[in-house]
Amino acid sequence: MKARLATFGDFRCARCHVIVPSTHLISGVNNRNHCPYCLWSCHLDLYAAGDRLSACKASMKPIGLTMKNGRNKYQREARGELMLIHQCTECRALSINRIAADDDAGTVLAVFRESLVLRHLTDALCQENGIVMLKTKDTKIVYTQLYGHGSEVSIITNT
Amino acid sequence: MGMYRNTFFLYLQETLTMNTIDENDIGVVFRKTLGRYTVHTHGREIECSLSSLFHKQLIFPTPHPASLRHTVQDVRESHHVDPVAVGDRVRYVATGEARGAIVEVLPRDSKFSRPAPVPGQRVFEQVIVANADLILPVFAVANPTPKWGLLDRYLVSAEAAQLPVLIVINKLDLAWKNPGFDEEIEIYCRIGYPVLLVSAVTGEGMQELKQALQGKQSVLVGKSGVGKTSLLNAIQPGLGQRVKAVSNGELGKGRHATTHLEMFELDFGGALMDTPGIREFGLWDIMADELAYLFPEMAAYVGQCRFGVSCRHDREPGCAIRKAVMAEAISPYRYQSYMNLRREL
Repeated sequence: MKARLATFGDFRCARCHVIVPSTHLISGVNNRNHCPYCLWSCHLDLYAAGDRLSACKASMKPIGLTMKNGRNKYQREARGELMLIHQCTECRALSINRIAADDDAGTVLAVFRESLVLRHLTDALCQENGIVMLKTKDTKIVYTQLYGHGSEVSIITNT
Repeated sequence: MGMYRNTFFLYLQETLTMNTIDENDIGVVFRKTLGRYTVHTHGREIECSLSSLFHKQLIFPTPHPASLRHTVQDVRESHHVDPVAVGDRVRYVATGEARGAIVEVLPRDSKFSRPAPVPGQRVFEQVIVANADLILPVFAVANPTPKWGLLDRYLVSAEAAQLPVLIVINKLDLAWKNPGFDEEIEIYCRIGYPVLLVSAVTGEGMQELKQALQGKQSVLVGKSGVGKTSLLNAIQPGLGQRVKAVSNGELGKGRHATTHLEMFELDFGGALMDTPGIREFGLWDIMADELAYLFPEMAAYVGQCRFGVSCRHDREPGCAIRKAVMAEAISPYRYQSYMNLRREL
C-alpha cells in the first residue's frame, strides 16, 4: 500500500510503522494528525490546522500537554480539552493538537511525566508561542481527562 | 447510397489533387464546431470538413530506392480527439463553392494541450489552440472565486509549451468582495509573471490589454464565468458575442455561454481566440521529473538537493526546494501546487 502521509486519508506512522485509520468513528476527530500509539506527528501544517502547507515534513515529537481554553467564561479554572504539544525535530516549530479518542492513555501520561522532568528545555519556547504547558499541580486534571477520575498517586513519586 | 457516392467522389478528388496543391489552398482555422471548421484564406471563408485521411494513419515500411511497391504495414488510430485545432495552418481541397475538406495540418509553431476529458482507458490529447503567441489565463477577483491551483496548471502548461503568459485578472470592480486577493496575486508578481488587472465593466486596464495583444495571436483561457467573452466584447465592440451572468448561488459559479472555439481578428492588429470555460485542466506530455523546471522559482534549485536531480522534493532529506520554501524564497502555496501536480503525473 502506498503511504500518502500528506493527505487526510489513512496513513502509516513514519516512526512506529503502524497503519493508522483516519475514520472519524474510531478517532473521534475530523483531522487525525498524530499516531495514536506513539503520539508522534508530522510537520505538515503551516498557518492553520489542516492547511498542509508546510514544506518541513519532519517528525514532530510530543513534548507535553496543555489545555485548550473552554468557552465557559464563568468556569472557575480555564479548563477545556486536553491537548498534545508537538515540537518539530527539524525546525523546532510548536503546534498543539487535540487528543483523539483512541490515543493510548498510558503514552499520553508518559509524555506528561517526561515533560515535568524536561520542562526547562521547552518552557521558554512554549511561553514565546503563548502555550501554557501543564505542570505538576495539574496532575489531577490530566488523570481526570484520561481516566475519568483524579488519581491520588502523585506523578512525582512515580518518576 | 448517395452518402457513399459523395464520400467516394471526395476521396477521388483528394487523390487527384494531392499533387497539385499550391499556396492558394492553405488557410488558417478560425472557428471550430462539431466536425466543421471555418478556414480563412485570402480574405475568404471556407467551410471545411475533415478528410478521411485524418481518422487513421497508414504506416508504410521504410521505402527502399529499388522498391516500387508500397504495402501498408500497419494502421494506427489517431491519438487526438481532434487533429485540427483553432489557429492551425491547414491545406484544404475545394469541394464546392466556399466549401472544402482539410487534408493536411502544417507543422505547428506551438500548441497548448490538455488530456481530453473523455471517459475510457485511453488518454487522448486535446490541442486547445495551435500557433498561439501569448496565453492569457483569465481569472476573476470574485464571482467566481479564483482557483489558484488552476492558474498554476495553465502556467506549467505554458512553460512546457514555451509560450509567454499574461495573467489577466478581470472584475476588478468586485475587489471589495475578496479582501485577501492582493496578497494572493502578489505571489505571481514576485515570481515574475506579468499580471494585468482589468474590468470589462468599467473599462479599467483595457488600453494596457490592447497594447499587450497588438500584433499577436493570443488565447483567452479560464473557467466559466470569469469574463473571457466580456473582455473580448470590450476589446472589440461590435463582435456581440453572447455572454451570461454567473449563477446567483453563493459560489458564483459561471454558466457555459461560449460553446465553441473561435479566433477573432483584431482591428488594431493580431488575433484573439476565445475558448469555452474549462473546469478541469490536466497536464499533457509532462514528466514528473521535469515538473520542477516548469516552476520558474524552483528551477534554480533543481539539482542542488542531496539526491541531485533524482530528488522528488517531497520528504527527501537535504532537499533544496523544501529549504527554499521554509526560507520563504518559494511560496508554500506554489509548493503545494507542485506536490498536487506531481501526484497526478
